[in-house]
Amino acid sequence: MKKNSLIVPPSLATRFLRWFCHADLLEDIEGDLSELFCARLESNKASAKIRYWMDVVLLFRPGIIKNLIETQDSTNYAMVKNYLISAWRNLVKYKSFSVINIFSLAIGLATCFVIFLFVHDELSFDAIHKENIYRLCEIQNFEGTDTQKVALSMVGMGPTMADDFPEIEGFTRYWGFGEQRIVMDGRHEIVDQVVAVDSTFFDVFDFELLHGVLSDQPSGPYDVVVTEKLARRLFKDSNAVGKTFTMNDRDEIMMVRGVIADVPENSHLQFDMLVSIYVVGEPEDVNSRFGSNNLVTYFILNEQTNLSNLEEKFPDYLIRVTENEDINDIYTLFLQPLQDVHLASTDIQHDYHNHRKFNGLYIDVFILVGILILVIASVNFTNLTTARASYRSKEVGVRKSIGAAKKQLFQQFLIESVLLSLLALLVAVLLTMVALPSLNDLIDRELTLLTFIDNPMFIIYGLGLSLLVGLIAGLYPSVRLSSFNTIIVLKGLRLEEKKSLFQSALVVVQFSLALGMIVCTLIVLQQLTFISKKDVGFDKDHLMLVSMNSESQDHYREMKTELLKKASILGVTGSGQRLGNNFHQWGAKLKKDTAMISFTPSNVHVDFDYLEVHNIELIEGRSFDEQYTEDDGLSFIVNKALVEELGLEDPVGVKMAHSWYPDDSLGTIIGVTENFNFNSLHHKVNTLSLVVHSDWWYDEMIVKLNGENLEQGIEDVEEVYGQFVERYPLKFEFLDDHFNEMYESDKKLGYVITIIAVLAIIVGSMGLFGLSSIAVRRRIKEIGIRKVMGASFNQLLKLMSKDFALLIVISFLVATPITYFFMLNWLDNFAFRIGINPFVFLAGGVTAFLIAMFTISFHVIRAVSANPVQALRDE
Amino acid sequence: MKENSLGEFEEIVMLTVAVLYENAYGISIKAEIESRLKRRVSVGAMRTALNRLEKKGFLESEFGEATAIRGGKRKRYFKVTPLGKRALDQVMDTRRQLWEAIPSVAFDFKFS
Repeated sequence: MKKNSLIVPPSLATRFLRWFCHADLLEDIEGDLSELFCARLESNKASAKIRYWMDVVLLFRPGIIKNLIETQDSTNYAMVKNYLISAWRNLVKYKSFSVINIFSLAIGLATCFVIFLFVHDELSFDAIHKENIYRLCEIQNFEGTDTQKVALSMVGMGPTMADDFPEIEGFTRYWGFGEQRIVMDGRHEIVDQVVAVDSTFFDVFDFELLHGVLSDQPSGPYDVVVTEKLARRLFKDSNAVGKTFTMNDRDEIMMVRGVIADVPENSHLQFDMLVSIYVVGEPEDVNSRFGSNNLVTYFILNEQTNLSNLEEKFPDYLIRVTENEDINDIYTLFLQPLQDVHLASTDIQHDYHNHRKFNGLYIDVFILVGILILVIASVNFTNLTTARASYRSKEVGVRKSIGAAKKQLFQQFLIESVLLSLLALLVAVLLTMVALPSLNDLIDRELTLLTFIDNPMFIIYGLGLSLLVGLIAGLYPSVRLSSFNTIIVLKGLRLEEKKSLFQSALVVVQFSLALGMIVCTLIVLQQLTFISKKDVGFDKDHLMLVSMNSESQDHYREMKTELLKKASILGVTGSGQRLGNNFHQWGAKLKKDTAMISFTPSNVHVDFDYLEVHNIELIEGRSFDEQYTEDDGLSFIVNKALVEELGLEDPVGVKMAHSWYPDDSLGTIIGVTENFNFNSLHHKVNTLSLVVHSDWWYDEMIVKLNGENLEQGIEDVEEVYGQFVERYPLKFEFLDDHFNEMYESDKKLGYVITIIAVLAIIVGSMGLFGLSSIAVRRRIKEIGIRKVMGASFNQLLKLMSKDFALLIVISFLVATPITYFFMLNWLDNFAFRIGINPFVFLAGGVTAFLIAMFTISFHVIRAVSANPVQALRDE
Repeated sequence: MKENSLGEFEEIVMLTVAVLYENAYGISIKAEIESRLKRRVSVGAMRTALNRLEKKGFLESEFGEATAIRGGKRKRYFKVTPLGKRALDQVMDTRRQLWEAIPSVAFDFKFS
């Protein structure tokens, strides 16, 4: 048996051949192929089968394939042709119906496509890298501050952990240096994102190399790797290997050793230039730095690693390297998989190198909404097709009486429905094409339909999806129509159409979704308005933040003096960190009664007049004053949160200092401020201490402009800056813009929800439009009789709207709790948030109700205002 | 005109059928062409050509014997019809006339 089966040509191929081959040709071709197969079998069995397949496939060509027209039952062909013609005539005859039918499905499909593209884009983050990469994170539990998860680690951790744990196969550190100035051929250029990494960076991450060798780059302390874009900008050539420059006026000559392809948009790491981590010092020194958390560390783990086993060993390690027995009370180390970095880092702070961080929860919500909209659109399609089909009962009657079988009618309507769904697919693709560019602008993405072309499987899915929708949605109307009783429909009697529970349920689902989305939109908008209007405790208008650099730093005092002479400038101060970002936490200590308390508040070093320029309210004590020498480094101003956290009864005068000050030279708390929101409103106000160190660098010079003449102010700043700084161009931003940017992703979510709400309403209304048309047709005689008997227009309107109104009320009851909990969850993202006002549900409900009534009024008003004779005559 | 014209491959197939005389069926034609012309011929290409030639009336065919190796399917033997013969003659004539019309210097490839 087995032997026998071996010499038989592949049966699937033969069946395929028999299926397509012209009957006249089949016999000898099959014989020829079988003879050839046997001959080839003697040389090579496997290739014989393959060549048999190839021959069959090559036979699949015009002269051989059976002719559809000639070979098939000719009546069948004529029938199919007739189906297509009547499908087309019906499409054209009921234009508005067809348009609504096609568009509601097209909108559903288009929404699905866009959501698919969006989700695909988010999920593609960091996919080019290996799988077992982990980011080292910390849970910090400092005294006197909130417990926080941070994406930072200590400089020495990378190499020492890689040495200590065999599970760790490789590591790289990633230390963002931000903007740097380089000098080449006497030119000064600013490079935006300079990052210091280990030479093992490219062992861990797979960025594509274009020129040079990467095996151990950057290896020497002055080797650098640049992106192609930067190479083109600096050296006018993508192959910049061997080019040299100096950085920040240092003497060492840096040399380009490698050029990599531009970092893709869907990478959480974004950089222009990589330098060696050892530019900051000798390896022995750098690798033994513990205590402060400056950078991000990534590990490649052995594939057999048990993550929790590895993490259990971290506490011992921490004690070993920091030589501090209590270190584990403060730090807990954990590893975050690279796959989670983009989508599951919402609760991680100090996450500076996480491009376009996104809340993965929304991905699930989007997928759910996509599926819901598609389901609703498909069921709409069924409803509208059914509704339209009932206009065609006479056609069915005639077809049946001249001999159409039930199966044929069924086929006919199914074919029509599939055709419609394919048309809808076409429209959906066009809609997506038209909508994508503006959508991309709105949500700041680069979604493109090309994704489909790159992945042919997606095209098949899209096509399959619309075919499936066409088939499933067409099933019900096809069954219904084909089962009409010939005599009844021909006599013109209307079939008894019962109100279907299914259709009512559909309306409820549709309107629950629409209503829920309206409420979500309202709440998101309210919260966003709340954020932008909330009094953060300081002035953020007309504050110009001028970035400082090594040159402007030296002239800070002179610039300040010059600037203050200008009428357009109200104040100038400096700060080590920008408001709105989470200030770094530094250790501090404080004498409470007789005990010394260590704690770690957020810290910022500022200029003397910081509080005045920002208009931050002091509730106790005094502000910094240049007159007192102790105010330079030994006076602290804390916020109310700190006073409350530490339970200080009389804070002003309490002895306090940075943790590195000796116990016998403490400073003093001189003032307490109101809790102003130095961090974004997502977070509650942490404990804070302000201090002046006049010899430290400021990150930014803050210039308060006169709001009445902003242009003059900016010009004055430019002029003064130009007098003192030659090599760095002026770079500034306004504080209120910075604050707007912080809520950018919340705003984008708001846009997306609004768009989905509008779509949900449109699709829902289209469905209701179809349903109300069925309902009105069903009761057209009833309306006529009532009218004859003297019913008023209003009474009839009420009568017809009653059923739908009830469904909307049910939707309201369904949607309210779900939306309420979902939005409560979203608002929990914000430490400062609005309460949910029941009024928004009312507003959403009323809106949905009005839209629904407006939609059904099309049919109802037409039926009610028609002459009753027309409705009653027809029998 | 177009109906009677012969493509290059069609001409080869017709000639091969004539060469094989009583033994011209699918596999033998294919094998003959492959061995004489040193080129691969797919069953599909050849069968389409045979089919087309038969429709034009240049070839005619009849079923022959069935063998076990063919899975019990009969062979289809092809024969050149008189009309086919005329078409072949015409092709040859055209060629000959063209050859004769070539001036003798045209192929004089001596390098001066």
